Amino acid sequence: MKNLPNLRSVAACACAAALLAAGASACSSSTAGSSGSTSSAGGTLTIQGDTGNPTLVENFNPFTPSTELHGTYLIYAPLETVSTINGSYTPFLATGYKFTNPTTLVYTIRQGVRWSDGTAFTPADVVFTFNLLKKYPALDTNGVWSQISGVSASGNNVTFTFKAPDVPFAATIAQTPIVPEHIWSSIANPATYANTHPVGTGPYTLKSFAPTQYTLAKNPLYWDASKIAPTTVVFPAQATSQSTNQLEVSEGQFDWAYTYLPDVKATYVDRDPATNQYWFPPGGTIGLFLNLTQAPYNNVNFRQGISLALNRATIAQKAVNGYMSPASTTGIILPNEQKWLDPNLPGQGVVTQNRSAALAAFTRAGYTLRGGKLMGPNGQATMTITLPNSFTDWAAAATEISTELGQVGIKVSLDEPQYAQYSQTTQAGTFNAAIGGFGGTGIPYNDFDLALNSSYAAPVHTPTVNNFERYDNAGVNQALGKLAASTSPAAQQQATDKLETMMYNQVPIVLLYYGGSWGLFSTKHFTGWPSASDPYTLPTNYNYSLLTVVTRLVKA
Amino acid sequence: MRYILRKVTLFIITLWAAITLNFILPRLMPGSPVDAALGKLASAGVPITNAEKAAVEAQLGAPHTSIFVQYADYLRNIATLRFGTSFSFPNQTVAETIGKALPWTVALVGTTTVFAFVVGTLLGVYAGWHRGKFGDSSVTVGATFFGAFPPFWLGLLLLYWLSFKYGWFPIKGGYSPGVTPNWSLSFLGDALDHSVLPGLTLAITTLSGWVFGMRNNMINTLGEDYVTFAEANGLRSRTVALLYAARNALLPNVTSFGLMLGAVVGGSVLVEGIYSYPGVGNLLYLAVTNHDYPLMQALLLVFTLSMLVAIFVVDLLYVRLDPRVRSTS
Amino acid sequence: MTVITSVPPPEGGLGGKASPQARGGPGGSSPQGWYSAVPGPLRFIGRALRTLWGNGKARAGLIILGIIVLAAIFAPLIAPHSPTATTFAPYKGPSATNWLGTTGNGQDVFSQLIYGSRISLIVGLCAGALATLVAVTIGLISGYRQGPVDEVLSFVTNLALVIPALPLMIILAAYLQGHSVWTIVLVVAFTSWATGARVIRSQTKTLRTREFVTSAVFSGERLFRIAFRDILPNMTSLVAASFLAAATAAVLAEASLEFLGLGNPSTVSWGTILYAAQQQNALLTGQWMMVFAPGLAIVLLMVSFVLINFGIDALSNPRLREK
Repeated sequence: MKNLPNLRSVAACACAAALLAAGASACSSSTAGSSGSTSSAGGTLTIQGDTGNPTLVENFNPFTPSTELHGTYLIYAPLETVSTINGSYTPFLATGYKFTNPTTLVYTIRQGVRWSDGTAFTPADVVFTFNLLKKYPALDTNGVWSQISGVSASGNNVTFTFKAPDVPFAATIAQTPIVPEHIWSSIANPATYANTHPVGTGPYTLKSFAPTQYTLAKNPLYWDASKIAPTTVVFPAQATSQSTNQLEVSEGQFDWAYTYLPDVKATYVDRDPATNQYWFPPGGTIGLFLNLTQAPYNNVNFRQGISLALNRATIAQKAVNGYMSPASTTGIILPNEQKWLDPNLPGQGVVTQNRSAALAAFTRAGYTLRGGKLMGPNGQATMTITLPNSFTDWAAAATEISTELGQVGIKVSLDEPQYAQYSQTTQAGTFNAAIGGFGGTGIPYNDFDLALNSSYAAPVHTPTVNNFERYDNAGVNQALGKLAASTSPAAQQQATDKLETMMYNQVPIVLLYYGGSWGLFSTKHFTGWPSASDPYTLPTNYNYSLLTVVTRLVKA
Repeated sequence: MRYILRKVTLFIITLWAAITLNFILPRLMPGSPVDAALGKLASAGVPITNAEKAAVEAQLGAPHTSIFVQYADYLRNIATLRFGTSFSFPNQTVAETIGKALPWTVALVGTTTVFAFVVGTLLGVYAGWHRGKFGDSSVTVGATFFGAFPPFWLGLLLLYWLSFKYGWFPIKGGYSPGVTPNWSLSFLGDALDHSVLPGLTLAITTLSGWVFGMRNNMINTLGEDYVTFAEANGLRSRTVALLYAARNALLPNVTSFGLMLGAVVGGSVLVEGIYSYPGVGNLLYLAVTNHDYPLMQALLLVFTLSMLVAIFVVDLLYVRLDPRVRSTS
Repeated sequence: MTVITSVPPPEGGLGGKASPQARGGPGGSSPQGWYSAVPGPLRFIGRALRTLWGNGKARAGLIILGIIVLAAIFAPLIAPHSPTATTFAPYKGPSATNWLGTTGNGQDVFSQLIYGSRISLIVGLCAGALATLVAVTIGLISGYRQGPVDEVLSFVTNLALVIPALPLMIILAAYLQGHSVWTIVLVVAFTSWATGARVIRSQTKTLRTREFVTSAVFSGERLFRIAFRDILPNMTSLVAASFLAAATAAVLAEASLEFLGLGNPSTVSWGTILYAAQQQNALLTGQWMMVFAPGLAIVLLMVSFVLINFGIDALSNPRLREK
């Protein structure tokens, strides 16, 4: 979503094989010889892979999101995948789910599925997987057991019992990778298990691993194998240097890459206009988070003033080259979640710059513009914006914000530490203002809950990742509770509308522009990529979107 | 003998101090390994939750023991050459991780340094012998110019033009993708091909040190009585240059070998980053960004130890090579 | 301290071995004689510059440095645009308005280049001065005082020498908060004083046995007075050489840290232009001037320091003097 720093973790690959054999010559296809593509069977899919550190470390443990290789998502299927665009479900190991009441969720498990070693897959494997997460909290990266109290199987059904109503949590349960009981039950420490011989139910199995590239082969036992087009999937590791990765993408080495490219039309599309295409949908919202435990940010009028003082179009232009548009301040990502948007809100909830309205709001908060300075009870209004120095789009946005707020008399300074320190400061609540990300799960409830639920708002100095701006509003909590408990679309829409209105009027977070999701595709070998006309999921190749996309591809 | 004993004692004390510093320094950095790991996910656009943080904390086994216990563990680990598990590579020991990366850097930096030393020294001899003439000026000005190239800048330019534009060299890595390192001839050729540009970058930017050192030494040595005496005795000037002056002028250049190593290692951090070379320089940058204490400590130890040993060996060699040192100490 | 050329040569320039006959005395001028020259510092600098001007390489260095200093001082007059204003179309190549093109944020690269000279000069000169100050203090004391004081100080110096500078800088830069230019000055100074201290120590050791020092000792002068009043002026060229060497290293270190993104990306410096060029992949979008120009500027500044150092070396070591 952001630009990675130039020397971030990562490693090697790609065109080298072709290059050094000839000593020169171009290298458009980077199958690198190891895959042996047979065109009749479907051919090879090359995906810009994981970042090597500087080389890849073999790890196909699906419960270690920070170190596992992305291919793991094609090896271990979940119950269902959930679109990060709009929250729609694609069934895999389950055929469907139902809430018998807001605290009881029943998944119907698919019949006739086998593990890649030939053993039959059963609902008992699902129960085992979830109990494994309970036994080893280190594996429970999505906090499943903070929401559920029990899991049991009967017939083809697996029933999850919730501690409290949380209908949207079905998505998290759906996307938990399911592992085979007959293998994982005997693993001593699953948290550090590298799982170099993964056995899963997904459409692919591990074929070969080398420190700079790994290859997956189609799983002949996959339940829907006839629908799977690529016979092999190659993941060449990314370079340590982000700009090298961009050069490789530009060279056209991948069928699917995920990277920000400057001037994408010239640097990518025009290099092979017949097949190269990009799709940069919004994948989240970037906002200015004000510390709500501090004055004057705890004053809603002051926050409205800031929101009205900003020109979001300019900010978006500076930050991401105009790839992204100004964000709706409702918290709804447009156009992805259009169906959730409350039509009664003016201008789809996008706030436009209005200096006199901003000054009026500041006056209501007790601040007036005198001699170019916004003066309040304690002198000129000041703001220090904290952001990680490696996120250059955020930095560009922050620079523009400081210019624009300077025009309404607020003295803004920027604090740009490394990410780890940024996260420490924001989590502890000792920041003044910070640039941060909002949403991106595809499910409005999750986005709102993580950002606004006061149950996360720990006291200052007690770290919290979520709701670090420390918003506390009984009405919001109530609406969240309603949304979590309602199973009918109408009730869900009603609660969401309420939250959108709250976001729009109360400005707990000054949402600015959408963060991009940088999908780059080639239709040379395969078609069926997500696009603006068929936006079935975000073009991210490092989560279950990978499984959703690869299973939908068709040979070109 | 007293000289050697003194050197050994000093070596051990310096080693201990360096080891302790290596322990303290990484811990001064703000933010925790957990924050850094989450940052990596965040920069990929993954929404971070408290649950995720708790799980990552549990996975990393983030240190909760007191700093003194950690220090004691650290010393014990060094003594037994076990450095624990790195946060970045939870499935490998730190020793394994470094073991995989170190040969690449040693080969790259070693070859480059020897190459730069030989070429630089020869150029220095040439410049010193032709002092004040055109040849001297071109060598010194050229070396000054190239020596001032920031390694990362030269690396970027070479990478762009020779790899991306013209495709003469691979664009990244130490070897081709999909290949597992082995000792076959084809692999070695492949690796060599990948090391040309990073090696060239390092060599060009470190050459000047050797040139200047050697040139100055040559000029000084050429003024010595015995050289003048040799010339007066009618020895051919080439013989004088190589046999007398250069041989004696070489000595100080050898001593700076140890210190040069530090500069090359520093340069290799940046150059390995640009070329995505699978060496320890790259690894160090990773360790720093990930707040990976175990890995960072072990790497700093490797760096300081190699410099200490180089200096120590040179010191000892010096005693053999230059009898004057023995008497003055 | 008027007569630079009468300074005894350091041991074979920087780090080399001295030959017996190269070691002249202090040139007959009594140490006390220095105080008689009235507008001391100014005249000294003027004279030093004139002497350096006589050396071809040093002259070239002084001219380059002069141009860069002028650019830094008169940046607002020279630069056609504001270095931070994001008012231009992004990712443009060189044109009549933007001589070196624009950044991905729509800033004028040429104006950034001109303003960027300020940071590089400030960091180079300040970090160089700071490192030299530390080096001189530690080197002098350690060289003059024998026994435990020397042992401890040499030990600290050697320790600083064996810890690789760049990794140390990366860690320190990440640790020190604020990320201003001064952070970088401190970090660079802290990591680059050791070589100078070592050289000055060994030169002090040589000088302290000279007659004029011995006579000062016998006349009952205090240690620090002897070290700083009597010995230091005899090492002017050596100190200047360490300063320039440290400044050169500082310029490179600043650029490296900025390039790695460990500086403040909002400041305008040559290092941050390169950082931005790398982040925005200027080479991919064809803006090679954005990479080439700031790098060349760094090279030229470093070259100017090294060239001036050649002049100083030649002055202090007659054998290196150009014929």
